[in-house]
Amino acid sequence: MAEKWIYWLKEVGQEDNNVVGKKCANLGELTKAGFHVPPGFALGVEAYSRFMKETEATDLLLKFLDDFHADPNNVADTLKYEEASNRMRALIESVKMPPDMEKTIKEYYTEMCRIAGCENIYVATRSAGPMSHPGQYETYLNVCGEGDVVFNVIRVWSSTFNTRSVIARARLNLPLHYDPIGVAVLTMVDAKAAGVMFTVNPVNGDESKVAIEGSFGYGEAVVSGNVTPDRYLVDKITFEIDEKVISDKGNEFVYNPETKEMEYVELPPDQRKRQCLEDKEVLELTRLAKKVEAHFGCPQDIEWSISRSLPFPESIFLVQARPESVWGKKKREPVLGKKSGMELFFERATTPVKLKM
Amino acid sequence: MGEAKKFPYASEVVLPPELEGWEEMYPPQRLFSKDREAWENKHFWYQDKIHAPEPMYPLDDIFQEAWQISLSQFTTRVFCIPPAQGVAQRMLGCYMYITAVEPPPPEVIGEKAEHFQKRVFYVFENYDDLWDKWLNKFQALGREMEALKIPKEFDKYVPDSEIFPAPRGYTQAYEIIEAFNTIISQIFKAWQYHFEYLNLAYLGYLMFVDTARKLFPGIKESTIGKMVAGAEVSMFRPEEELCRLSRLAIGQPPVAEILKKNISAEKKMEELRAIDAGRVWLEEIDRIKNPWFFVSCGSGWYHFEGSWTNKMDVPFSYMQSYVQRLEKGEKIERSLTAISEERDRIVSEYKALIKTDEDRKSFEDAYKVVRTIYRYAEDHLFWVEHWLHTIWFEKIREFGDILVKNNVLKKTDDIFLFNRFEVPMLLEDLATAWALGVGAPTRGKFWMEKAAKREKILEAARKWMAVPGLGVPPEEVSEPFTVMLWGVTTDKVADWLKGSEVESKDVTEIKGFASSAGVAEGPARVLKLLEDVVKLQAGEIMVAPCTNPSWAPVFTKIKAAVTDIGGLTSHAAIVSREYGLPSVTGTGIATSVIKTGDIIKVDGSTGVVTIVKRV
Repeated sequence: MAEKWIYWLKEVGQEDNNVVGKKCANLGELTKAGFHVPPGFALGVEAYSRFMKETEATDLLLKFLDDFHADPNNVADTLKYEEASNRMRALIESVKMPPDMEKTIKEYYTEMCRIAGCENIYVATRSAGPMSHPGQYETYLNVCGEGDVVFNVIRVWSSTFNTRSVIARARLNLPLHYDPIGVAVLTMVDAKAAGVMFTVNPVNGDESKVAIEGSFGYGEAVVSGNVTPDRYLVDKITFEIDEKVISDKGNEFVYNPETKEMEYVELPPDQRKRQCLEDKEVLELTRLAKKVEAHFGCPQDIEWSISRSLPFPESIFLVQARPESVWGKKKREPVLGKKSGMELFFERATTPVKLKM
Repeated sequence: MGEAKKFPYASEVVLPPELEGWEEMYPPQRLFSKDREAWENKHFWYQDKIHAPEPMYPLDDIFQEAWQISLSQFTTRVFCIPPAQGVAQRMLGCYMYITAVEPPPPEVIGEKAEHFQKRVFYVFENYDDLWDKWLNKFQALGREMEALKIPKEFDKYVPDSEIFPAPRGYTQAYEIIEAFNTIISQIFKAWQYHFEYLNLAYLGYLMFVDTARKLFPGIKESTIGKMVAGAEVSMFRPEEELCRLSRLAIGQPPVAEILKKNISAEKKMEELRAIDAGRVWLEEIDRIKNPWFFVSCGSGWYHFEGSWTNKMDVPFSYMQSYVQRLEKGEKIERSLTAISEERDRIVSEYKALIKTDEDRKSFEDAYKVVRTIYRYAEDHLFWVEHWLHTIWFEKIREFGDILVKNNVLKKTDDIFLFNRFEVPMLLEDLATAWALGVGAPTRGKFWMEKAAKREKILEAARKWMAVPGLGVPPEEVSEPFTVMLWGVTTDKVADWLKGSEVESKDVTEIKGFASSAGVAEGPARVLKLLEDVVKLQAGEIMVAPCTNPSWAPVFTKIKAAVTDIGGLTSHAAIVSREYGLPSVTGTGIATSVIKTGDIIKVDGSTGVVTIVKRV
């Protein structure tokens, strides 16, 4: 029997990293655990393999690469890689998907539309590598209609041939023509605001805080660092908002229905410095962050999105969760030096408080 | 910038001319002087807005005098906190300035450390027992003060009972002099007891703040306050009694009806006395009045604040609103279980976040230490500043009464215009005139003129905006009270420096401690005295110098609270958190910068108060 290559999110979990890629596995895990995740499905790495094998893609790539020579550690060769990348991507994106795969993907999409109760819903096609390579592969937003879904799945696959990925593989001496990843096809959240949050204060490793960054529009604005987000620091235990920094956010990242492209639009002056989240949303995000952290058992880096059309709190979606990479890995060193309460008391009594003028 | 910022030295401060003669109200050892100038200029002095936010009445100054000795000695000579010395006081322009005395030489620090370890360890090991002993001796002292006999009037002739069967040998002339000496000794002793464990309680608190901050760098002091605060402390008892009395009244509808009327407390009591149920209810007040109505309507530091016992309008107005709320089916009591449960939840959730077992053990132990001793900081307050001070003021007024009856003073409370070294002169003057026989004059005219002049000086001092600090701020502070009670921190001193440069009308934003989270905007009501509470409208934001247990019911009416004084464990902070009101405490200048009617925004999460619109 042929290996399974497509899954509903709720069918996969953390253990399926290598099957569907990290992002899909985590989203599946969150879905199964009952978190509010945009509904969708995942294409496993097997789908990538089948596509590459069953079409002529692999052969074409190998043929092309026979004549390609460049040194990944030589900056001057970057242009060569860029050109090669363009050629390879064009090549893949011109290949037609095996009919049974195309049919299945369209069926899954149609089922998503049926469940959502509307025709041609908007989805995001997101890359999901088995290893975490944040920002290396590509994601396409506001994809609509079954034909576009199929095409954008291929575009995500082809993004494993973007310049930075090809150079990265060349440096590691990995084969250049093959880098199987999963793809998540997720319902788009019509985000009024989105961003990321950490279940630890990224500044000092204080695990009693949740640090939230958000901005108007879609989350890519925050993740990519293209806007200065609002910042909130919330105490996980008392649920008090300790710090609130409202920034001049400048632009918001939104979908332009005319061009069918995502674009940065300058916010009107009275909007730029407005708080992008209501306090109740900040607190609800904190509650969710705590739950996600408890579910995975270590500090998390979570992406979230708030829908404009749904009522609070259903408006809040989690679109990604992964272990926080800096503080989560730090060794847990004691800081109080094995002192007893009385020893700490004596220490305090003998240490003056500095006043800095 | 570059140049080190500093405040003027005491000798550089220019006082308004109307204050002329202010020095004579206070004993010379309490004044800045040429002969001690070198030492005084080495220290940084700041106005003590906690104990002396108002110009100081000479006799009220006795508490300050007493704490200067007591607080300091427990640090320097009793528990011997190694690097810390005492807190010195000086009067300037009728306001009190204080300073943490510079640290002792290194060899002294070493000597003190030995005593410190041994003595402090003993206290922690035995605290529960020691607290019982403390309370017993303190209550005994208060009862002695209450029992003190002060002549109501001089007898024309000593009665037979003092002659037969054997003459007593002394008269009311001696008795009145002795009574005053005795009450002075008693108040000094009470203030000795006041600090018995307070320095350690504050140190314990500071230790726990340090420990928690090492584990959770961003933990807020208001959260730490929630962890250590006790729910069942004497301080909350008066309010609990009011709740209980209000519930009793609800059970007796005619009583409740009278309590709800908009008439004075005196009238209400008169009407209550006229009905059976009312008499029973009043008996209940009499039963608990001492100690639970011996609550100052202010901080307990000034005679003019009054206590519930002599300003019954205050407790009756609270009960009026409690009865109304009970009838609406609202709950009026604080839920002690809810408070304790919330405290336990916060502590255990923080504990669960600690990353190593080793640190968790130290944290648990540190928490145990602070919980052992911290109660003292909350309990002593009721017994000393409220209960005993109420007794003291009443007794002092008995001396005032007899001076008025004999034309030495005009009004009873004028006695507070003379310091504790001068009052014996007035009493001696009176006793002498009586002893001399018929027709011998006192210097009543002289005393009365002096009283009138002093009242004018104090009035002028009230209008003077005293400088917040004097001299050069230090680089470090070891004295626990300076850090905790007065909240002297880098930011605070910097704000004072800033504040001393700008006119109060130009200030649009003031900072304090973020004591209770949340944001509220609304009209300000500046309450300098609790009596002003009658003017308070529901939904206003209270701006007060500081609050204490007798203010508690105010919090059910307001939207947010702002105080000049007090940290995160101050009364206003604790009660605001309980009622879920935003509060910013310890701003230093709120009551002088904000005017009643200004629209202000209080952000209890950041500690910022913004003046949105001025009246």
